[in-house]
Amino acid sequence: MIRGADDKKAHLLERFGLSQDTEHSLSRLLQSLKLAFPLIVAVGCSSTDGAGTDAAAGAAGSGSTSGAGAANSGDAPPVVGGPRPSAEACAQTQEVVRTPLRRLTRTEYTSTVRDLLNVDVSATLDIPADEVTGGFDNNAAVLTVSSLHAEKYVLVSEALAKLAVQKLSALTSGCDPTTTGEEACALAFAKSFGRRAFRRPTTAEDERQLMAAYAAGRTGGSYAEGIEVMIRAALQSSSFLYRLELTPATDVAAKRVPLSQFELATRLSYLVWGSGPDDALLDAAAQNQLATKEQVAAKARELLAQPKARAALNNFFEQWTSTRRLAITTKNTTLFPAFTNELRDAMAKELPAFLNDVLWSGDRKLQTLLTSPVAYVSGPLAQLYEVTPPAPNADGSPARVELPAQQARAGLLTQAGFLAVQGHPDQTSPVLRGKFVRSMLLCQPPPPPPADVDISVPSVDEGATARVRFGAHESAASSCNSCHLLMDPIGFAFEHFDAMGRYRQQENGQDLDVSGEILNAGDASLSGAFNGPAELATKLAGSKLVRDCVATQWFRFAAGRSEAAADACSLASMEDAFSNADGDIIDLVVATTQTDAFWYRPVTQ
Amino acid sequence: MNPLRFTRRNLLRGGLAATAAIPLLNARRAQGDDTPPVRLVVMHTPNGTRNSLFWPTGSEADFKLNTITAPLEAYKSKLTFLKGIRLNDSLQNGALGGTLGSEHARGTGGMLTARPLNAGKEFVSFGNTTSGWGSGQSLDQYLAQKLAPPTTFKSLQLGVHVRDTEVRARISYTASNQPVPPREDPKDVFKSLFGAMMASPTPDGMADPALERLWAQRKSVFDISNAETQRLMGLVGSEDRKMLDAHLTAMRDVEARLVGTPGTSGMGGPGASCTPPTLGDFDLGVDDQYLQAGRAQMDLAAAALACDQTRILTFQWSYSESEHLFQFLKVNSAGINGNHHAISHDFSSSGTNYLAYNAIQTWYAEQVAYFLGKLDSYKEGDRTLLDNTIVLWASEIGESTQHDLAMMPYVLAGSAGGKLKAGRYLDFSSARKDNNQLLVSLGQAMGASDLTSFGDPSGATGPLSALA
Repeated sequence: MIRGADDKKAHLLERFGLSQDTEHSLSRLLQSLKLAFPLIVAVGCSSTDGAGTDAAAGAAGSGSTSGAGAANSGDAPPVVGGPRPSAEACAQTQEVVRTPLRRLTRTEYTSTVRDLLNVDVSATLDIPADEVTGGFDNNAAVLTVSSLHAEKYVLVSEALAKLAVQKLSALTSGCDPTTTGEEACALAFAKSFGRRAFRRPTTAEDERQLMAAYAAGRTGGSYAEGIEVMIRAALQSSSFLYRLELTPATDVAAKRVPLSQFELATRLSYLVWGSGPDDALLDAAAQNQLATKEQVAAKARELLAQPKARAALNNFFEQWTSTRRLAITTKNTTLFPAFTNELRDAMAKELPAFLNDVLWSGDRKLQTLLTSPVAYVSGPLAQLYEVTPPAPNADGSPARVELPAQQARAGLLTQAGFLAVQGHPDQTSPVLRGKFVRSMLLCQPPPPPPADVDISVPSVDEGATARVRFGAHESAASSCNSCHLLMDPIGFAFEHFDAMGRYRQQENGQDLDVSGEILNAGDASLSGAFNGPAELATKLAGSKLVRDCVATQWFRFAAGRSEAAADACSLASMEDAFSNADGDIIDLVVATTQTDAFWYRPVTQ
Repeated sequence: MNPLRFTRRNLLRGGLAATAAIPLLNARRAQGDDTPPVRLVVMHTPNGTRNSLFWPTGSEADFKLNTITAPLEAYKSKLTFLKGIRLNDSLQNGALGGTLGSEHARGTGGMLTARPLNAGKEFVSFGNTTSGWGSGQSLDQYLAQKLAPPTTFKSLQLGVHVRDTEVRARISYTASNQPVPPREDPKDVFKSLFGAMMASPTPDGMADPALERLWAQRKSVFDISNAETQRLMGLVGSEDRKMLDAHLTAMRDVEARLVGTPGTSGMGGPGASCTPPTLGDFDLGVDDQYLQAGRAQMDLAAAALACDQTRILTFQWSYSESEHLFQFLKVNSAGINGNHHAISHDFSSSGTNYLAYNAIQTWYAEQVAYFLGKLDSYKEGDRTLLDNTIVLWASEIGESTQHDLAMMPYVLAGSAGGKLKAGRYLDFSSARKDNNQLLVSLGQAMGASDLTSFGDPSGATGPLSALA
């Protein structure tokens, strides 16, 4: 960005070994890059302009309700690294953005019923996996209930209730039906269990419904069966399956509605625990102890100190880094015989172990997550990393090892699990790895390939390095170059790691060039060449843009939707808090609870 | 995390493993209706085709199958090749949706909706493109709602190794942003389809008292939860109300079969011998066991149709832009090493990848042939189940190296009980037809006689008249 266009052009020609014949297309490339940044999204890769996109929004609207990601107002959503709202504007009362009704994700459902019932919850795996939108499985707009969901909600609730009543006395707080009376015990349970299941005090109507379910079980059955059917009814209720926010607007002229104490407690517990509020948190809500931002921040830190917070943050990081996809990743068994279920399991355990160290006993910094040259190994993973298997931890969790310097590994992006997911089943993918950095760390999704272009993917049996094979993407002959120059030169940094993340000195008998550059990122600290993944990681770790992007990704996950124009002030405050805390992840989580986006809902839902 | 744990259930142990023929109550026959119902099956295989080896040669009535479709030879008289159907007019060109999503994504979400994907920049989990999910109801869901067939499943979505949960993995939508996930575990499908039958009243009409109590309890809980959802619908905004309405619809959809409502379970088509299939043992997480998983799902699909458990069925192989492996297929006596999508984009007209792509496409045709054979093996009066069905074999794109959406690789099988004239090679290449028209035709053949247009209004209206 500092260089002039001509310098830049010469630089590109040199870096990518392009001949002077490419000059025409490079002019086109530079033109399109200039047009594309910083608003690179939704702009065509070729000379296509953005007109189609605007028209498209209208067309989609005509056939649909709202697009899952449509902004709430006509204004464009904030762009990471783009213009920021003024402090004066943010000091004014802002409107807030509507979040669609949030259905519990399968992960949230599982954690919630585990906390509610304290039973084996493996039955919840029968619930279909949630639809993934923009990398996250909790985008509320698309989390609907299909017939398959409906069937499983019924059957899973039955399986869970059956297990729960096997510990009836503990479940019902020791209420003895023979002395207290069955009805009285059942009603007491309806109130206490209903409050936790619905995340608010039960109403008379709730109690009537739960007791009707109890009666359906007790009729022709036992007291325990009555409780069992009551549990089923609670778990099949929309008041359980959705995070409802129904507090009425008291001031119709207001720009926004403050959430009730119980609604705030619920947002807080799903944010920090990925589960429903416990009795203590509901008590705090009942006693109006979440009335100020200071109180909510203190409560957030209190909840973060509990073990439940670990699984919730793991959930974000597994999705953000895409390693959640390990569960559906396969590899060619001839080329990668070492990629067994055992190895995949070990890969999947590495990130949580790393997070456990950094977030809960380390410095909690994003930079550490991006640069730390360590691995957490169990099972066959030590062999993959070519390290001596360390003594296992007492609790069986993966053990920490320093990685050989030669491999130049650094943090999340060189973990075997990440590299395996961001690769094809048969070969590496500099494109996928570069695209990941571009979209999930820089928040700049590459523009789409031009329409009607021949899209040729290099095949594995060509005997050359990927850089040579993928070079076609960047050659003058290819109209793909303007997009691929944004991704491939980043992805090549990882070429010392094969499609399952194993270090390799050469590819197809040839030495590897792992130098590259992050072109046109819009952040001076990212510019300039790097050589290898460790240097790339160091650049990323020092970038404000990357921190802002991570704050935005976290916002999307926390809010269950993408950011919209009216989120600008909330997002800016999270970015500032994250930066001021020097990339402290825990501070970012707490900062989320201090935003208008967290405290309010719109007047009109 | 326990990868692929869902594959390792052992639901079939014990009673459910029984495969003895089950006597079925033929409610329709009891009502004096012997006309077999018409069924619709959409079978999706990923990554397009190679036109030069896919389309037949010859004329409409006198044609010869090509290399890729040769496995379908036994059913040639029941096939209709539809060359020249385009998705692009409604999904690709300028005014209507521009380039929302990659062609793979657009074709997947547009095939049965005939609509462009929703706009949305944050949906970048596929390709290098941005878009949202599908923007409208798909034909199968439209028909399920409109015709409300008296079957256990209003519609059934099955998948084989779909695994993914994003836009390239969903062809069926109840509404905009409401994709319908397929069922991928044959053991789970078996249990859902035939578990209730196993527990149905015994031939002497005596129901298990414990089962009757469970049904009664379920009914009470449905009543309670549905009333609660309806109450909440009055308290939320209009967008959220749509979500709760979909929830309520889904609950009502499953209620009948879960509470043992008489006459809703496994009614059996006329003359159908309704026998649950025997499922083999395999690991759904292993690409090399694609055939075994696929056969199990196809057997279940055929049985579900034969038993009149459903009349509307979608069937997905892997996901669009699939990177599935085919090491079990040999080319030049070596297993195929590359992944399907990468192979599908190799431009060479000879060599390993050329042969590998042909082999994979032919393998998929063999699977379609297996399925057609299953359907054809069920006699229904003078016809077969296949005759009384319309099977649409489709992919999300046409010529794979081009990501083409202007000539979809569509083949129909069956004749909807004689409503469609089969055994033909229809070539619309010189005057392309819109996907919308095909959907109208399929809808009409299924009984939605007043259907005149489907999907995005930019598409042509009316049916494909050449089909009748």
